[in-house]
Amino acid sequence: MSHDSQTDPDQGRAPRSETISDYRRHTDDATLRSIVKATIDGIEIEVPFGTTILDAAKTVGVTIPTLCQHDNLCIAGVCRICVVEVDGERTLHASCSYPITSPIDIRTHTQKIRQARRHILELMLSEHVGECYACCRNGHCELQKLASTYGVDFYRFGHRTEERYGRDDSSPSLVRDMDKCILCRRCVRACIDLQEVGAYNIFNRGYETKVTTFLDRPMWEAVCINCGQCINHCPTGALHSKDMSDDVWAAIDDPEKHVVIQTAPAPRAAIGECFGLEPGTPVTLQLNTAIRHCGFDRVFDTNFAADLTIMEEGAELLQRLYQAVVEEKEVALPLFTTCSPGWVKFLEYFYPEMIPHLSSAKSPQQMFGAVIKTYYAELNDIDPFDIVTVSLMPCTAKKYECNRPEFHDSGFKDVDYVLTTREMAQMIMEVGVNLPDMPESDFDDPFGKATGSGVIFGATGGVMESAIRTVYELVTGESVENLFDHLRIMPVRGFEGIKYAELEIPGTAGVPDLLKEVIPDLDWLAGKTLKVAVAHGTANAKRVLENIRRGGEFADCHFIEFMACSGGCLGGGGQPIPTNRAILEARARGIYEEDEHSSVRKSFENPAIVQLYRDFLTEGPLGSRSHELLHTSYTVRTRMMV
Amino acid sequence: MQVVYRQQIAQEIEELKQEFGSDRSALLPILHVMQERYRYIPDRVLQSIAHAFDIHPAEVEGVVSFYSFFETREKLGKYVIRLCQTISCDMVAKDNVARQLENELGIKFGETTRDGMFTLKYTNCLGLCDQGPAMLVNERLFAGVTPDMVHQILIEARRNFVRSDFPCFIPSNVCRRGPILDNGTEPGEGLRAALEQHPEEIIAIIEASQLRGRGGAGFPTAFKWQLAAQDPDEQKYVVCNADEGEPGTFKDRYLLTEHFEAVLDGMTIAAYTIGASQGYIYLRIEYLYLRDTLLAAITRRRESGLLGDKILGKEGFTFDIDIRMGAGSYVCGEETALIQSLEGERGEPRNRPPFPVDTGFFGHPTIVNNVETFLDATLIVVKGPEWFSQHGTDTSKGTKLFSISGECERPGIYELPFGTSIHDLLKEVGAEDAKAVQIGGAAGRCVSRDHFDRTLGFEDLSTGGSIIVFGPETDMLEVARNFSDFFVDESCGQCTPCRIGNVKIRECITMLEEGRCSSAYLNELIKLGDTMRLASKCGLGQAGGNAFRTIAGAFTDEILGRIPGSD
Repeated sequence: MSHDSQTDPDQGRAPRSETISDYRRHTDDATLRSIVKATIDGIEIEVPFGTTILDAAKTVGVTIPTLCQHDNLCIAGVCRICVVEVDGERTLHASCSYPITSPIDIRTHTQKIRQARRHILELMLSEHVGECYACCRNGHCELQKLASTYGVDFYRFGHRTEERYGRDDSSPSLVRDMDKCILCRRCVRACIDLQEVGAYNIFNRGYETKVTTFLDRPMWEAVCINCGQCINHCPTGALHSKDMSDDVWAAIDDPEKHVVIQTAPAPRAAIGECFGLEPGTPVTLQLNTAIRHCGFDRVFDTNFAADLTIMEEGAELLQRLYQAVVEEKEVALPLFTTCSPGWVKFLEYFYPEMIPHLSSAKSPQQMFGAVIKTYYAELNDIDPFDIVTVSLMPCTAKKYECNRPEFHDSGFKDVDYVLTTREMAQMIMEVGVNLPDMPESDFDDPFGKATGSGVIFGATGGVMESAIRTVYELVTGESVENLFDHLRIMPVRGFEGIKYAELEIPGTAGVPDLLKEVIPDLDWLAGKTLKVAVAHGTANAKRVLENIRRGGEFADCHFIEFMACSGGCLGGGGQPIPTNRAILEARARGIYEEDEHSSVRKSFENPAIVQLYRDFLTEGPLGSRSHELLHTSYTVRTRMMV
Repeated sequence: MQVVYRQQIAQEIEELKQEFGSDRSALLPILHVMQERYRYIPDRVLQSIAHAFDIHPAEVEGVVSFYSFFETREKLGKYVIRLCQTISCDMVAKDNVARQLENELGIKFGETTRDGMFTLKYTNCLGLCDQGPAMLVNERLFAGVTPDMVHQILIEARRNFVRSDFPCFIPSNVCRRGPILDNGTEPGEGLRAALEQHPEEIIAIIEASQLRGRGGAGFPTAFKWQLAAQDPDEQKYVVCNADEGEPGTFKDRYLLTEHFEAVLDGMTIAAYTIGASQGYIYLRIEYLYLRDTLLAAITRRRESGLLGDKILGKEGFTFDIDIRMGAGSYVCGEETALIQSLEGERGEPRNRPPFPVDTGFFGHPTIVNNVETFLDATLIVVKGPEWFSQHGTDTSKGTKLFSISGECERPGIYELPFGTSIHDLLKEVGAEDAKAVQIGGAAGRCVSRDHFDRTLGFEDLSTGGSIIVFGPETDMLEVARNFSDFFVDESCGQCTPCRIGNVKIRECITMLEEGRCSSAYLNELIKLGDTMRLASKCGLGQAGGNAFRTIAGAFTDEILGRIPGSD
């Protein structure tokens, strides 16, 4: 387990009952670095001091079942399925929370243990309402899998059939079915520790214990940023995304409707996992074919809109810098990115006074929706009323975003439906297609050509990297390759929770044509250092925002990329389950590979973008039409409930 | 108007933070004050507290909903009547009192009268098991309540208890005294003796006495202190566990009343020994009526130099004690749950290891000892280890206080040496015809007549002091039901075996009552009890199935094959 700010329980605010790392504080360095001998099922091993029994067992290929344990989260030790026998101890111990600090002899599957595990599973199942074959997690539910592994073939302790809680589907993003909850608390830990949102907690005690929201309000009323991390960490079907595929099918089946879909880069790096491929296996072009097979009329690349976002947001950054430096106006800097609707909602709830820092540029999804129902409709002479825009996103917050009242700039709902990676995979399976077997096919025009810059939006730091590629070159007139080998802007890549980089602007060129309306000259930028930062996971975002409030080093930044989920879109709440560090890294490799293979890797060089600004957004970035279609405003949200 | 209200609450909380501190350990004390002011904890208060501590409102509500004495949904009555429903009170017809309360007030348990005067609630053990049925009216305690007393109590309450026919303090029944209770030491005597020694010598003395924790688990006290003393951390804590919640235990209530000075001496000696500067007494909310007296005693000690800076002139020895109230949770008697509660969290036991001796209160070394353990430690320091260890058995030294209740002629507090057999004990309390004895409360085990030769002690029947006697007429299935109701209600709900296991036991008891439980299913449940014992997270969860296992084991014939409705 890594110990950066995201996963180190010392750094998080998880309930203290759920941390074990504290023992380190009371141990001298030499001991901490020492190696301890232990025996697991007769196999002798040597592990670093403090390794949990669970992790130690993994190193010798001994499998111990888990439920409440999750690699991304701090330890809970509550489900008890991972109990093992430690020689000399009166009771069994949870292997996920037992650190090996002295030589011990461990058994992992004695009769006592097998009986305890079986009992624990049967206890959970006795309270687990619902039938497996009518459940969205059928086939990939952790509880179901364990029941199968441990040979549960009858309900030893009975089986509840009447619901205790009922379903809550009031949120546009997720459905809570607490009758399937096994109280592993992974959603609570994700929501508090990774996200600092605290929409959920454990309430009551004993048999009345349940996970719910403040005042037991429906999700629609709860302070929730719709990020879906709870879903991604849920072992059962208790939490799942709100599936809109029935509506999408209906649109496809309606001959009057022209159904178009945009696919985001992160799902493309992950959807293969649903078909048994290794994480990060690129299937973008096969996916296009599969989607057409489902009946969509056009498949577009969200990356086009990502490039458009860079143009608009980059222009906004330069404009704000100009206003601050040259005109000495009071402008909100650093500028914050707004691609991640969960993050935007987080800021609206928790730091409403910082709303002016948000870029007014919409997220790529919403830009695309607006462009499709205006430019594309005009170009192809289709009544926008008949266009149904669907987007394939790694994200459950996008489901909420497309329903924000602001996003009707085309005169219609800009994006009609959002499908998560998991839901898209389900649709493809439903038409009997095995994704990896599909032939390749390209995206549809006129947005067919996207750049590598758009692709990397999927990874944390990607928006920043794309912005640097474009802004640096537009400002200096110099090629970014001179600075960063193969255009790899490493300081903003990687999974560190908060990243910081500085970029010196040696000299400036003349203002490019596209930006003539935005700023008169660029000379004032020469010799300046551009300071940027990247934060992912809203708990890390909170750290950065608190730092800005205090006037810390991040207050001096010019531009900060924020993503609601750890790992950025790659770790989004709509991505295949499970998602952990290793899987995130593999998906990232897929994305960066796609970037390297792109012929065009800078947004401003995208010919479709050039064409769009020439033919449609003729006033250039931040022009009046851009403002109308591509920019938006934000809402102060109160957390106070009455 | 609402804005004013909100600001006013925020202001109140700020003031309370001044008083109780701004770290999260102030959470429970503040919640207590707010509940007293508003007679419940309104949503706005939850949110304002969350805001003041920079935590999420759901976290605050999570904490509040854990404790049975906090109320968030609706305003409680001016007087909250809490009738004890635990086994000893149950056996002396608390049901009749309950019915009469309902009759007099025209409401059911859980409800509040329309005039806002009274709320009726059940509560678990009030620590008056030898004088039941016991009942709290706010913090006022009533013993031996009978149905015809109810009317009088309600009239007095309506007149704000300006005059009362009932004693304002209910003394404990001490039936047998021994060296511990007849110790004859003066306040501060133990501490003076201790300060003449080096901390290591004190550990050696305690070690020589072979004192083991009096709370029930029996961990060697000297070893606990030594582990904490060794830790290089500069901040350490001493905590006195006065959360006497085990059904059938009431000896700590007596010790806090009559031997409190010696307990404080013990805490201060412990602080000196391990190098702690702050102590807490975690007092259960059911004993709120003791708080003012205890605080006064602590203040007196500060004034006389037995607490505070340079205690008894000892350079560099600073120690102070504060009282923190529980809020109605049995599990908080488990030491890590108690620490969680002190920290303002839900009282859920932590993973062990690490243990509190190195990772306790806010991550610092903390020793948690029972009230009686501190008393014993003081006396051992004054009178020497042999004085203590001459009593008892090889592995269980000393005399121990037992709280004896149930069907016997002389219930009360007994000081007896370890090694006493059940048989001898029953003779002493006047219950020679007993059918069974519950040793160790709800978490303990039931011992039937044919095992009355077994002895009290860590090597045989270990107990924190609770002994409940069942007479020949007792229906053991009813006993099992009472204990299982207790655990279903009091389980912290964290781990699966305890949370659901206890419910399954209760379901099985219902099946037994209705005469539809097969022997095979009963055996499954006994095995489930084994799993609960082995796989639960904390000591209390592990004990949750003990009562059922032992009763079902010893009284199989009595509980099987019942005809529905035959009672």
